[in-house]
Amino acid sequence: MSSSTSVGDLVSQPYKYGFVTDIETDKIDKGLSEDVVRLISSKKDEPQFLLDFRLRAYKQWLRMEEPDWATLGHPAIDYQEMIYYAAPRQQEKKASLDEVDPKLLETFEKLGIPLSEQKRLSNVAVDAVFDSVSIATTYREKLAEHGVIFCSISEAVKDHPDLIERYLGTVVPSNDNFFAALNSAVFSDGSFVFIPKGVACPMELSTYFRINSGDTGQFERTLIVAEEGASVSYLEGCTAPMFDTNQLHAAVVELVTLDDASIKYSTVQNWYAGDENGVGGIYNFVTKRGHCRGDRSHISWTQVETGSAITWKYPSCVLQGADSVGEFYSVALTNNLQQADTGTKMVHVGPRTRSTIVSKGISAGRSSNSYRGLVQIGPKATGARNYSQCDSMLIGDQAAANTYPYIRSQQPEASVEHEASTCRISADQLFYLQSRGIGFEEAVSMMVSGFCRDVFNQLPMEFAAEADKLLALKLEGSVG
Amino acid sequence: MVAAMSNSASNSAAVAASSWVTTFLERLPAPAGELEAVQWRGREALSRQPLPTRRQEDWRFTDLAPLTALTPALAPAGEQGSWPEPAAGAVRLWLDAPGDPLAGQSLPAGISLLGADEVQQALGHTLAACNCEQHWPVELNQASAPRVLALRVSAVVAPILELVSQAAGDGVMRPVRVLLLLEEKASLEVLQVQLGSGSSLTSLVIEAHLGRESTLRHGLLALGESPACFLGHLAVEQEPRSLLESVWASHGWALSRFEPRVVQVDGEATTSLKALQLADGQQLADTHSRVEFRGPEGQLDQLHKAIADDRGRSVFNGAVKVPRAAQRTNASQLSRNLLLSNQARIDTKPELEIVADDVRCAHGATVSRLQTDELFYLQSRGLSAAVAAGLLKRGFCEEVLRALPAAAAAWRPLQRLLGEA
Amino acid sequence: MIRPDADTLLEIVDLQARVEDKPILKGVNLTIKAGEIHAVMGRNGSGKSTLSKVLAGHPAYTVTGGSVLYRGANLLDLEPEQRARLGLFLGFQYPVEIPGVSNLEFLRVSTNARRGEKGEEELDTFAFEDLVRERLQVVQMDPAFLERSVNEGFSGGEKKRNEILQMALLDPLVAILDETDSGLDIDALRIVAGGVNHLASPDNATLLITHYQRLLDVITPDYVHVMAGGRILRTGGKELALELEDRGYDWVDQELAVLEVA
Repeated sequence: MSSSTSVGDLVSQPYKYGFVTDIETDKIDKGLSEDVVRLISSKKDEPQFLLDFRLRAYKQWLRMEEPDWATLGHPAIDYQEMIYYAAPRQQEKKASLDEVDPKLLETFEKLGIPLSEQKRLSNVAVDAVFDSVSIATTYREKLAEHGVIFCSISEAVKDHPDLIERYLGTVVPSNDNFFAALNSAVFSDGSFVFIPKGVACPMELSTYFRINSGDTGQFERTLIVAEEGASVSYLEGCTAPMFDTNQLHAAVVELVTLDDASIKYSTVQNWYAGDENGVGGIYNFVTKRGHCRGDRSHISWTQVETGSAITWKYPSCVLQGADSVGEFYSVALTNNLQQADTGTKMVHVGPRTRSTIVSKGISAGRSSNSYRGLVQIGPKATGARNYSQCDSMLIGDQAAANTYPYIRSQQPEASVEHEASTCRISADQLFYLQSRGIGFEEAVSMMVSGFCRDVFNQLPMEFAAEADKLLALKLEGSVG
Repeated sequence: MVAAMSNSASNSAAVAASSWVTTFLERLPAPAGELEAVQWRGREALSRQPLPTRRQEDWRFTDLAPLTALTPALAPAGEQGSWPEPAAGAVRLWLDAPGDPLAGQSLPAGISLLGADEVQQALGHTLAACNCEQHWPVELNQASAPRVLALRVSAVVAPILELVSQAAGDGVMRPVRVLLLLEEKASLEVLQVQLGSGSSLTSLVIEAHLGRESTLRHGLLALGESPACFLGHLAVEQEPRSLLESVWASHGWALSRFEPRVVQVDGEATTSLKALQLADGQQLADTHSRVEFRGPEGQLDQLHKAIADDRGRSVFNGAVKVPRAAQRTNASQLSRNLLLSNQARIDTKPELEIVADDVRCAHGATVSRLQTDELFYLQSRGLSAAVAAGLLKRGFCEEVLRALPAAAAAWRPLQRLLGEA
Repeated sequence: MIRPDADTLLEIVDLQARVEDKPILKGVNLTIKAGEIHAVMGRNGSGKSTLSKVLAGHPAYTVTGGSVLYRGANLLDLEPEQRARLGLFLGFQYPVEIPGVSNLEFLRVSTNARRGEKGEEELDTFAFEDLVRERLQVVQMDPAFLERSVNEGFSGGEKKRNEILQMALLDPLVAILDETDSGLDIDALRIVAGGVNHLASPDNATLLITHYQRLLDVITPDYVHVMAGGRILRTGGKELALELEDRGYDWVDQELAVLEVA
């Protein structure tokens, strides 16, 4: 390619969010034991049922082994070398944002998430989580007028223990898998959303996760419940500073929809991915699952995964209610030495349940990008339908794109259809666009966003443009 | 994730597995004959690795219970069944004939037997190239096969070579081993018929090396009657501009597992794999295929079809590997499944691994019953629902069966597969 | 239309180029002035398509000698997109399909890139839609094609119309049309040629690359050049094309043979 920039160069932009906030932190000593689990629980002043939940999970975790079936390559994680609780030192959660440590507010401003009253994103309520704890939640009063609860999960434990006890761990049981068990034992904070019967949440809800401490694992827990006829759209964003060590992020997200309810959950994941030699970066081992408990309920996952050294996540739907609908729209971009193993599970239990999977993987550099999916049609899922489409775009001849779509059907009155393809940005396509006056970078970006269009269309308006830009940034330097 | 089995259960399963293997080995005659060394090797390997378990990813969907229910012992020679006359233009070899299967047969022009030294050199070469020489079903065959049909093909062979083997009767073990070396520009069409009944076990290992610009059309018709089991393995090395057309159809076995492994050693070859497997009754039909491109500009066209009815289970796992050296590969894989009963089950799992940017790889999978609109169309022309369904099922099968070597017609595969024999 | 005092738009001097290790252009000389229509004819492999690709800056071709001045500046120094923005247009023989990229969006971005270069203001979505609908008339194209991905699933004729639509939007000074007539039925050819004639003006120039006379029946060239062996062997008026039609290319081969021996 004669052009001065190659598509290869175009994929590697410096990470913008790599700074560290210098703030005094309250940490528990590194290592994990029953005492640490008890200490976390007591620091958070938790009721007995939650301590029991944690201890049960911890005991289950001790008996479990780290999964290896995704054949992800990473050095063994020493779970005793990690800190399980870190919180910026401030008294109590502030009643008003004006009392929050200005350094924290400033951090979120730098990340493009203004929390202060004057600059807030209009029509988006934000819960900001810094290391292990939630430091601020905006628009709470306005939401409360509609009966919507949006707060940190720690506050919810105090203020709404009945709801937590009723729903926590019912979608992702504490022994679901190794990382879910670990999370259940040590989770520190996260968001809680409750949309009561018949309420359409009047604004977008969003949680912004920031890992700051270098030696701390982040284990947040999110629970969203939409009662009968309720609906909500929720967005999660994540960044972390650049360290040359790897930090573990093992989150659990549980969604529950009752009859006619709907939850749309979107993620723009931009954790630090490590440098071009694969040093540092987040290990992102996340369990996300939605349970369509009610008839005609609807859960939709949209994810744009661009960060992390390793991503291991399969946002899934258990479609139990009759006529319930699950969707998974994913863009996963890997560059340099990143590894992503992501996909979804659609478990069709109830009759006439429907699911759609659209996955777009872009692999550049020496990265590895796998789609792993399961579509399971149970014996009672008469009339169930699934359609899956998995496309891979390869940039350069050293990146791997793997596709493992697994289908199991036990119901003849159901139909499952899967299609997959690969493509690349060809020199001829680039030349064609260039010969119409479109610059090289813009041409690449047009083609990448064209490739991802079906997924970006699913993102809330405010974030679709952001996702587009993020991909273009991430791709700098890799097409050629 | 597979739920971990409890320790005691997995221990007792391991005991059962190793005792099955021990019994199997004990019933084998002492190693002897041209394959003596191979038999030693296979037996040693089996004594070290008992049966595969479902905790191994490769065996996750394959329940070996029908196999462990058998107590197979080597049958020195078979009996000829009431088989159809070979089709015109086909030369039949009966592989289990007492003594030498080639006795009284003259091989078609262009085919010759490999000498003992050549067999020594060539046997296992392709298995190693395909990374499956230590694979369990292969070792099972190596442990027990008393002889190998080893042929060199040096020209375009006009007649269809028909290889027939039958495992009939309780407790019979029928290992069949075939080695085909196709020289440059040679061409051969083979129809292999494997029949099994009673509580018998058939173990088939075929190795084929395709030289440059050679063509192998291989048809495998595997027709069993439960509780008979079938384990088949086809390893093929393809040199540039060679063509492999492999077609297999199976039905009736309590357990059948067929494993085609193809390696295009320097790319530029063409591979076509077509399969039809039917699982009804309580049968489990399993295909695990793997195609690997080790050079540029290879082609793959794979169609796997399966029908699961009654309490039948069909498994398909199709791996396609396109490493960096395999630029401009063009591969397509399609898995089409008919699920006809609510107690039947389909598991299908394509696996595509690509590390090359200038490639076209597409795959697809569908699972459904017969198409309602097609049924309706036929019904609206006056056909009863049952007749319409039969016609559609037949059409589904014929797409693959038509691709079998012409000599297959004499065996009436469609009628046998659809139970209309 | 030939005007001696017209501005020189493109001046190709002794241009040599290769693809991989194979020399294709072996010294092409050609001067194009405003208002002129040139036709380059020749057999397959004569180098005529390479000439168009080299002028547009295709990365697969390496220039090994000679020069190309575009309105007095060195064309060969420029990236493909800069050439396009400055008014050099290549109508492709085989326009590529670009799945996922909307045709309308593509046309708007490229039109605005060209407008920006000319110092004209960028058109917003609405203003652009008005413009594009007007220009669609030139090639009698169905607006439905705007909603599809660039060239994806277009028939051969539709792709060529899309090329001429781009030409109508980009308002080039030098339009090079590479085998625009290939694969077109007679009606489509008339529409495409009508579009080219409609867009020709005293300020711009057109370079037609073709095999056959039939395009030149509907677009009358001022000059006809016969290309063979990577060179222009002969230049004449429109009657030269008719002579080729009559006598075939054999005499060209003979002339070339003589030349290559010398």
